[in-house]
Amino acid sequence: MISADLSVVLPEIALAVYAMVAMLAAVYTSKDKAAPILVWITSALFFALAVWLGVTAGETRTAFGGAIVDDGFARFAKVVILLSAGAVLLMSIEHMRRSRSLLFEFPILITLAVVGMMLMVSAHDLMTLYVALELQSLALYVVAALRRDSLKSTEAGLKYFVLGALSSGLLLYGASLVYGYAGTTLFSGILATIEGGEMPIGLLFGLVFLITGLGFKVSAVPFHMWTPDVYEGAPTPVTAFFATAPKMAAMALFARVMHDAFGAVPGDWGQVVAVLSLLSMALGAVAAIGQRNIKRLMAYSSIAHMGYALMGLAAGTQLGVQAMLIYMAIYVTMSVGTFAFILSMQKDGQPVTDIRSLNMLSASEPLKALAMLVLLFSLAGVPPLVGFFGKFYVVRAAVDAGLVWLAVAGVVASVVGAFYYLRIVFYMYFGEEGDAQLDGSMPAVLWGFLMVSAFAMVAGVVNLFGVEGLALMAAQTLVN
Amino acid sequence: MEKIILFAPLIGAILCGFGWRVLGEKAAMWTTTALVFLSCLFSWVVFLGFDGEMRQVDIFRWIESGSMVADWAIRVDRLTAIMLIVVTTVSAFVHLYSFGYMDHDENWREGESYKPRFFAYLSFFTFTMLALVTADNIVQLFFGWEGVGVASYLLIGFYYRKPSANAAAIKAFIVNRVGDFGFLLGIFALFFLVDSVRFDDIFAAAPVIGETDLTFLNGTWNAANVVGVLLFIGAMGKSAQLFLHTWLPDAMEGPTPVSALIHAATMVTAGVFLICRMSPVMEFAPDAKTMIVVVGTATAVFAATVGLVQNDIKRVIAYSTCSQLGYMFVAAGVGVYSAAMFHLLTHAFFKALLFLGAGSVIHAMHHEQDMRNYGGLKDRIPYTFYAMLIGTLAITGVGIPLTHIGFAGFLSKDAIIESAWGSGATWSFWALVGAAAMTSFYSWRLMFLTFWGKPRGDKHAHEHAHESPKTMLIPLGVLSVGAVLAGMVWFGNFFGDHDQVNRFYGIPVHAAAEAGHGAAEGHGAEAGAGYPLPGEGAIYMAPDNHVMDDAHHAPVWVKVAPFMAMLIGLGTAYLFYITTPDLPGRTARAFRPVYLFLLNKWYFDELFDAIFVNPAKNIGRALWKGGDGGVIDGAVNGVSMGIVPFFTRVAGRLQSGYLYHYAFVMVIGIALLITWMMLTGGAE
Amino acid sequence: MRGNQRENPVEVLLSDYLPIAIFFGMAIGLGLLLMLSAVVIAVRNPDPEKLSAYECGFNAFDDARMTFDVRFYLVAILFIIFDLEIAFLFPWAVSFGAMGMVGFWSMMVFLAVLTVGFAYEWKKGALEWA
Repeated sequence: MISADLSVVLPEIALAVYAMVAMLAAVYTSKDKAAPILVWITSALFFALAVWLGVTAGETRTAFGGAIVDDGFARFAKVVILLSAGAVLLMSIEHMRRSRSLLFEFPILITLAVVGMMLMVSAHDLMTLYVALELQSLALYVVAALRRDSLKSTEAGLKYFVLGALSSGLLLYGASLVYGYAGTTLFSGILATIEGGEMPIGLLFGLVFLITGLGFKVSAVPFHMWTPDVYEGAPTPVTAFFATAPKMAAMALFARVMHDAFGAVPGDWGQVVAVLSLLSMALGAVAAIGQRNIKRLMAYSSIAHMGYALMGLAAGTQLGVQAMLIYMAIYVTMSVGTFAFILSMQKDGQPVTDIRSLNMLSASEPLKALAMLVLLFSLAGVPPLVGFFGKFYVVRAAVDAGLVWLAVAGVVASVVGAFYYLRIVFYMYFGEEGDAQLDGSMPAVLWGFLMVSAFAMVAGVVNLFGVEGLALMAAQTLVN
Repeated sequence: MEKIILFAPLIGAILCGFGWRVLGEKAAMWTTTALVFLSCLFSWVVFLGFDGEMRQVDIFRWIESGSMVADWAIRVDRLTAIMLIVVTTVSAFVHLYSFGYMDHDENWREGESYKPRFFAYLSFFTFTMLALVTADNIVQLFFGWEGVGVASYLLIGFYYRKPSANAAAIKAFIVNRVGDFGFLLGIFALFFLVDSVRFDDIFAAAPVIGETDLTFLNGTWNAANVVGVLLFIGAMGKSAQLFLHTWLPDAMEGPTPVSALIHAATMVTAGVFLICRMSPVMEFAPDAKTMIVVVGTATAVFAATVGLVQNDIKRVIAYSTCSQLGYMFVAAGVGVYSAAMFHLLTHAFFKALLFLGAGSVIHAMHHEQDMRNYGGLKDRIPYTFYAMLIGTLAITGVGIPLTHIGFAGFLSKDAIIESAWGSGATWSFWALVGAAAMTSFYSWRLMFLTFWGKPRGDKHAHEHAHESPKTMLIPLGVLSVGAVLAGMVWFGNFFGDHDQVNRFYGIPVHAAAEAGHGAAEGHGAEAGAGYPLPGEGAIYMAPDNHVMDDAHHAPVWVKVAPFMAMLIGLGTAYLFYITTPDLPGRTARAFRPVYLFLLNKWYFDELFDAIFVNPAKNIGRALWKGGDGGVIDGAVNGVSMGIVPFFTRVAGRLQSGYLYHYAFVMVIGIALLITWMMLTGGAE
Repeated sequence: MRGNQRENPVEVLLSDYLPIAIFFGMAIGLGLLLMLSAVVIAVRNPDPEKLSAYECGFNAFDDARMTFDVRFYLVAILFIIFDLEIAFLFPWAVSFGAMGMVGFWSMMVFLAVLTVGFAYEWKKGALEWA
């Protein structure tokens, strides 16, 4: 019986064991000199696991008395998490080596965070949820402060930690309220309690606190305040990581808790999520306009994108979950490409983040500028690029669920938000010829990810690479 | 082979338009020309080898949507075959001619490459025109119809630095839209009635359409008449008939080869082709046919009167074209589609010849187009002179009366005038004879002013007047042959004995149909089964349509009348411009209001400006300044420059960097959410 | 009906906490007793070495924003981790008989993970004071 349980979490165990072995191996041998090879091995492992999870798709299995579930939904999220984490790791090598911050702990911490994320999306119990969430968060607090000699990096780490602790407290408080009123921490038990009778106000409060804690992780307004500072302060590869895998994990966890534990009362959490979605889209669109720092800008951009993903969730339907998954998959792909470009931005060997340094990039680097243009247009949701279809799905889900006002607000916000994406395009194509020229060279890995991502935005319009069908299968296992 | 005919020009256009940088300018131009000549050669093979049996060449399934199915197919019947040779022959020689004519153009800067673009447009036009005439369904025909519209627009506005050329191009496009609207409604109506866009289905259903009533514009009408009128409105736009004719003279802003190809020989005759193609439907629409006769006659007369006083050599020919198109419509309107096609064919030859000749004159005179500055060019450009002379003899209808020997126009135009008489529309007959007299007058006026008399205007231009290069003269020669012989060679086929015409068009002849022919001669046989059904054969003439036979049996004075009219016109022109050159001036002064009326083209442009153009412009300006500029732009600017930046600043200030501010926002957020939940108690 | 009044949940709750309240009172009393007895009985013979700060090396009553040696906290944190480990081991040992092999191996894995972390700290030099 225990071996059956363990086989369900085999990928997680494998990653955890790998992390410990690698840590000991590195610390007892060449330490930081082993970091590049460790990064390669780690991302190879991620990709291999992603492929394995992808091809061994099977039935829904539970383990440890229902505390962990391995279903299509979890597998979809895990594959996205693993792929994006692997991609970001590969992209980090060059940047970190240049800034002499390529520590061998970095891939190990990322691995542990990934283990946490994988457990998060499989969590079927409030305690599993919390432990997994903390495993992920603690690793992320540390990587945010990875550059201990940088004031901004440590500040970012500290802010993230303090606010994260606050949100964890709120989440725990919510969990204890839920436990108090439902009498169990198992999601299925909570669902049974709610289905059995009316929803007590205490359970509702617990739900709101849970949403608060989860909202912090997906950086939904008004629990987003850490995002811009942490994105800006953290080393750029870490920012790239923050913008991709943890977002997917937190969003999947959000959907998991809402549907598995509170699926009987979609109206209750739906309205809260809808408000968070509306605020996130609006703030993400408006606040980014004032930004000159591309990392801060991407922070607001990710807030806005989480707003759109939440719109799918707010619908409270199977179509909504499907739309959310599609949106997240597209968002993660776009982010990987965009950060591949941001990671390559440097002048005279020093990384730069000011968007004005992109002036007339089209003249010196036409292909890169074109790829970036495609990605930015896709982020802005300009048809016929893939980014548009992501927005189209969530808006359709919202309209089908009767949330027309939210859909309209989303469209308006996307129009406002298009401004700052297009401004970068403007700088690249019509900016002033200044001395702010970027260095031309770009590591092959980054170039590859940039081009593949941009190409996917164009080629994906054919059938979205089949993500639509996969997301549908995943959503079916979660909502039925 | 039909596929090659259709697609060779398209390939040429693509190669030349997009590939000339690779191929080189000269090579690209020769490629297109060679491909069009290939297309032309095959067209003649198809025409001469055609046995009258209609056949369809399927290419691919084009549209499939519900019950609407349209294949892209080539329909080869007699009408198509005729149009094929007209289009490809004129097009091929216009391509050749353009080598000389477009060689040095002062509208372009030194080193600018414009010729490949011109040739690409010409070839593109040829392709769309062929798509139009080979169409097997009405949607495909509409594709070609719009395609030639686009090509025409591009070519009229070819000198895009000239504001007048741009204005003319836009005018042509918009006026055509008016007609196209009617045409579209006609297509919709046909699809609504027949539930198919294929010609075969439409023709087979024609008798049913003739007995169906259709509610349209608050009234109940006979469906065939409604369809006929709507289709004719489309034809009016494309063929520049009265009220929708204003774009054609302005279209002369385009280069002269374009005028010859598009605005004389091919595109403008698409309307006539459409009516002939739809003859099975038209035959069941008597009211629509009457309207066609009225509009055709009016156009023939109107355009001829305006042509009398124009001074621009190209505009004279343009109005002449307009007038001749009126003739063709009269023939189609009275039911002698064959005569309409006959005139279409001959007209294509001699009008293209006249235009290319005029182009040659213009080329010789350094782009001077005003005939008052010509004179005495007979000896300086002899080849051009002879070509123009043949063209004039053809258009005015010179021949030996009561025989079938004469220039092309003599046979085809007389056929139309006799048909008009044969239909019983005597008023139309007299109007056309009058128009013939005027045609003769303005055509000879053009010749006399240009080639006879003393040189006028800029001396320098006259001294340097020179004969055009061979590439321009060869087309003139070939078209001259056509202008001389086309009428005599094909008279029997188009307007000869009933049986010969039937054979030519592939109309099955049944025993009873023979009896019908007898009935036309007054023997009173019963019309009934055995007549060709609509859709059998390229054109359809209803069993009770005996106009052609009646025309054959017209009295001698009717047959001589056009010839006399031609002599009167010639004599008057000779009197005015050779014998007493001061007579035109005196006449103009004596009848000044009439002269001004004609010179200003009956004030049609001014009238349309006042009724349509200016109000539309005013509405547009009001919406632009007030609606768009004030309301929409104002609102957008207000939001994007006032409200959004305000919130951006607020958001920026909130992001203070202090940890306790951040925590405070989170706590406020959760407090508000909890309060909200407490007040509403959740969704239930 | 009086019997029902005794079922009042608040009273039940409070009665559950009664032993805790007693323990609390005893702890306060005992603590006070011991501290007061030290004040009364103990022999006081101060010298500078005795008055200096204990272990962490800085004065107990000073500006909070002073610089300090982070390694003290490092040691403190490591200590807490192992302290908690002991806290975890006690209940595990008490109920060991009921858990069987799964319980045993679970704790072994836990200890192994802690050991891995400890080995890392050691090798990283986190335990070297100077």
